[in-house]
Amino acid sequence: MDERKIQIVIDSLLPLLKAGVAFTIPLTLISFAIGLILAVLTALVRISSWRVLKLIFRFYVWVIRGTPLLVQLFIIFYGLPAMGITLEPLTAAIIGFSLSVGAYSSEIVRAAIVSIPKGQWEAASSIGMTRSQALRRIILPQATRVSIPPLANTFIGLVKDTSLAASITYMEMFRTSQQIVATTYEPLLLYCEVGVIYLLFCSILSSLQNYLERRLARYSAS
Amino acid sequence: MIEILDLHKSFGQHTVLKGINVKLEHGKVLVIIGPSGSGKTTLLRCFNLLEVPDRGTIELGGMKLSFTDAKEISQHNVVALRKKTGMVFQSYNLFPHMTTLGNVMEGQITVQKRSKEDARKRAMELLEKVGLADKSDSYPHQLSGGQQQRVAIARAMAVEPEVLLFDEPTSALDPELVGEVLKVMKQLAAEGMTMVIVTHEMAFAADVADKIILMEDGLILEEGTPEEVLKHPKSTRARQFLNRLSGEDVLIP
Repeated sequence: MDERKIQIVIDSLLPLLKAGVAFTIPLTLISFAIGLILAVLTALVRISSWRVLKLIFRFYVWVIRGTPLLVQLFIIFYGLPAMGITLEPLTAAIIGFSLSVGAYSSEIVRAAIVSIPKGQWEAASSIGMTRSQALRRIILPQATRVSIPPLANTFIGLVKDTSLAASITYMEMFRTSQQIVATTYEPLLLYCEVGVIYLLFCSILSSLQNYLERRLARYSAS
Repeated sequence: MIEILDLHKSFGQHTVLKGINVKLEHGKVLVIIGPSGSGKTTLLRCFNLLEVPDRGTIELGGMKLSFTDAKEISQHNVVALRKKTGMVFQSYNLFPHMTTLGNVMEGQITVQKRSKEDARKRAMELLEKVGLADKSDSYPHQLSGGQQQRVAIARAMAVEPEVLLFDEPTSALDPELVGEVLKVMKQLAAEGMTMVIVTHEMAFAADVADKIILMEDGLILEEGTPEEVLKHPKSTRARQFLNRLSGEDVLIP
């Protein structure tokens, strides 16, 4: 590698990391937080007996899971203005990613709740708990532990998916790299560099996931 | 006093209880025996409405609930009745994410709204009683089956039920651990706790029961004192069932 290329890598490192910390990470965190709330809500509705609400939430999961995330982002950002709704790139991205996380994770949360043995519901009932008390105190804490590994996967997936926000002009890490490519004409170098930074982010998250799983495993033999 | 009248229960096409009447005085111990599939566990689970009967009435701790096909019983009444009962399950069903102490405190805090200190105090007394005060910080998976079941008894006692229900409490235990659980139950019986016990431990039944019910095919086949039911059963079917069990030294103290 010649000196010029090394210089480009070094010079671009700071702007890329900056974009990562200032835009990619916040977008990921906010979308995941909202998505998770949406997921729990959806899961609870789907194990409830409210027929109409169940249908609505099933429809939501069906649509989001059955259409590409990129298409959803385009509809929200480029499509909605036709209906008079114009959104900032960040807002559009948060809406798109939250809806996506909510739909996928609702299945994770629902499966986790359903996986808790019936005997736990019965034991909670037998000491006089209502259904919602049992859910809050007995079932959800156990379901949380079950759903941590798959939710961590979703989260890591989301970190990478946020690069799609580049396509709706949100200046996150990937779009920043595109811009640097536009002035340096070094696509291989820059896209590899940004790939390595994503890899770094995800590796940190993976070790965080391991730590969480170990902590939550302390009450269980398995 | 507990009184159950004309209780019926079906699961789909299968009729499990075909008109059961039970009466139990306060402070007495009722043992329900019978072959598997006779409906004894279903009957027990009707006491705290883990199974809701199709027909009949249940009177328990001053509450009287009537069941008909026509209208569903309100969730409020279901919870109210459950607060008057405690249950010990065959597979313990302790809350795995809570310590032993947490398990025994949970109902007191969430259901009875006691303060943490009061709940802790009572929980420790109960753990003392079942001989597990030194395990208060352990999680269920760190305990043996017998210890878990004793914690489960303490958990059921913690909410001060009028009656304790036991669903084959020793069936899942290794033989050498059965004794410690039966000992605790015997002690409770001696202290005047009202109990309804489904069990296969005949010697134990003969020992603690004030009254034994032998069920078969959704009906009560024999009913009376241990002496009457175990020694002098009236029906041939009852004799057959008891003979099958008594290859061992099970009958009567």
